[in-house]
Amino acid sequence: MKKQRKQCKQRKLQHAVIRSFVILGIVLVIVISFVVADQYIRKAMGNYRDTAFAYTSSMAEMIDGDKIAYYLETGEKDEYYDEILSYLNAFRYHTEIQYFYVFVPDTEEIVYIWDADIRKEGETDINICELGDREAYWGESDKETIYKIYYDQEPYEELTLSNDEKYGSMASAYSAVLDSNGVPVAVVGVDMYMTNLQAGMRQFLNIVPLVIIVIILVAILLFYFFVKKRIVTPINTLSNISKSMVQNLEKDEAIEVSIHTGDEIEELFDSFKQMYSDIKDYISELSSVTAEKERIGAELDVAKHIQASMLPCIFPAFPERKEFDVYATMEPAKEVGGDFYDFFMVDETHLAIVMADVSGKGVPAALFMVIGKTLIKDHTTPDIDLGNVFTKVNHLLCESNSEELFITAFEGVLDLVTGEFVYVNAGHEMPFICKAGGEFEPQKIRAGFVLAGMEGMKYKAGAMQMEPGDKIFQYTDGVTEATNTNNELYGMERLGIILNKVKEKSPQEILPAVKQNIDAFVGEADQFDDITMLCLEYKEKMKISEEDAQ
Amino acid sequence: MTIEKNLNGTELTVAIVGRLDTATAPDMEEVLKESFEGITKLILDFEGLEYLSSAGLRVILQAQKIMNKQGEMIIKNVNKTINEIFEVTGFVDILTIE
Repeated sequence: MKKQRKQCKQRKLQHAVIRSFVILGIVLVIVISFVVADQYIRKAMGNYRDTAFAYTSSMAEMIDGDKIAYYLETGEKDEYYDEILSYLNAFRYHTEIQYFYVFVPDTEEIVYIWDADIRKEGETDINICELGDREAYWGESDKETIYKIYYDQEPYEELTLSNDEKYGSMASAYSAVLDSNGVPVAVVGVDMYMTNLQAGMRQFLNIVPLVIIVIILVAILLFYFFVKKRIVTPINTLSNISKSMVQNLEKDEAIEVSIHTGDEIEELFDSFKQMYSDIKDYISELSSVTAEKERIGAELDVAKHIQASMLPCIFPAFPERKEFDVYATMEPAKEVGGDFYDFFMVDETHLAIVMADVSGKGVPAALFMVIGKTLIKDHTTPDIDLGNVFTKVNHLLCESNSEELFITAFEGVLDLVTGEFVYVNAGHEMPFICKAGGEFEPQKIRAGFVLAGMEGMKYKAGAMQMEPGDKIFQYTDGVTEATNTNNELYGMERLGIILNKVKEKSPQEILPAVKQNIDAFVGEADQFDDITMLCLEYKEKMKISEEDAQ
Repeated sequence: MTIEKNLNGTELTVAIVGRLDTATAPDMEEVLKESFEGITKLILDFEGLEYLSSAGLRVILQAQKIMNKQGEMIIKNVNKTINEIFEVTGFVDILTIE
């Protein structure tokens, strides 16, 4: 069923071509028949007229007009009368003339002088009038014509057509007989049946359309094969190729079919071939680009995992430590981010926390983050001042910073025994600090310049005292600058409010609560920046045994 | 964000209106890059600046570094919010803010 329909579709163009040829043929037959028939009738009528008037005018010339008055008055025939009658008979016998007669017109009727009285073979039913017979005019047109040539003496040489039951379809011609003074004294009339004309017409109408139809059929066939060879077949080939092209687009096959019509179709085919190869090139290029993109995506994914695994992510991080509790999260906006946090034991009694944000995003920021994180951790040693750590790290970062990135960073080291919290700030956000029993408040601390921004910068450490129960919350600008669909920033104020709602909870509960609050604020809007948070709770002072103290 | 440049001899004033963040910082970087040649004084007019992100800070830092070599850079009409950002990030130490 499906195959049949497909074939039908393929033949559509052929059908359309045939249909239009048939319609064209019919129109041609009708038009040609009418035109030729019209021409034929004109020509035939012309012939009839010429012949009829040749008979009447030559007979009118021949008759001596001065004799007419005598015959009319006396009604007697003489030798001359018989001679003219024999001429009339001779004409009637040898031609297609039906009636050949001479008469004198009167107002309402005519008076016969001569009437050919010879019968052709097989003829029975003809009227023959005698000298002096009177008869009414046969018809109005005859009467008018006869009046015209007889009374008005006008030369008139048109056939008078009549169609009556008695005489059938008949053409009549009349010529005036003049006397020696040039005055009309009688009229010669000839009547001819138009049987030949009608028979000719019938014959013509039987043959000519047939001939035309045959000629047109042959022309249609020829043209059809021409069109099929030059147009339909190439177009079908083209259509088949385009179908197989879609199926074979991904295979590496060239078009092997070709069309040589030397006209627009060949041109079309060539353009099509060009397009085909262009599309193929494009597709292969696209697939290689896509493959490349997929590869890069996969590698970025790996990078993301590597980056994530660089940040301490096993919690509780120090299950054996009762003195403090620390928790941190990072959620990158893109595959790899520029934020990082870190925490590690500098020695037995000192815990370091780091929060930092590399300007920019993506791979460059992530690479720079790795360098920054490693340098900070490596340089944080028990005997070096934190300010010096950042001064050194800044110096080293400036050396390897061709992309002019920079890092805002905060590092703090808590002495678990004394509770002294030493910190250094390189352009990073203010931390929130919650004193035991108090509220989370942003702590204004002196800001040094960002890391890797400018060579030779000196950083100075600050210090504060922490008591058991105190908490520090540190974050990156991804938190305060989280934006909702109205382009509003999350801000420090909202952060402070949510922190104080959950201030009694453990760090492990505080961070998810803040994240949830941010998500609720942002709603449908995209996350533009990494969101990184760290919370440290100082739970109790570390007791050192006397052995350790020594 | 719209950037309006006004060159007066070797003194170039760049006025920024809108947000200077990750999305718009590359435009700003492009504009500055093509204008640095021959400039001895670069004035950044921040009167219309609504927001400044770290990507924006990076562009400002780049400009400052280039202008350190060939002249001076002045930032004027800094509003309170932006000034806070400069303070928090320590940029106040390296920028000339009027």
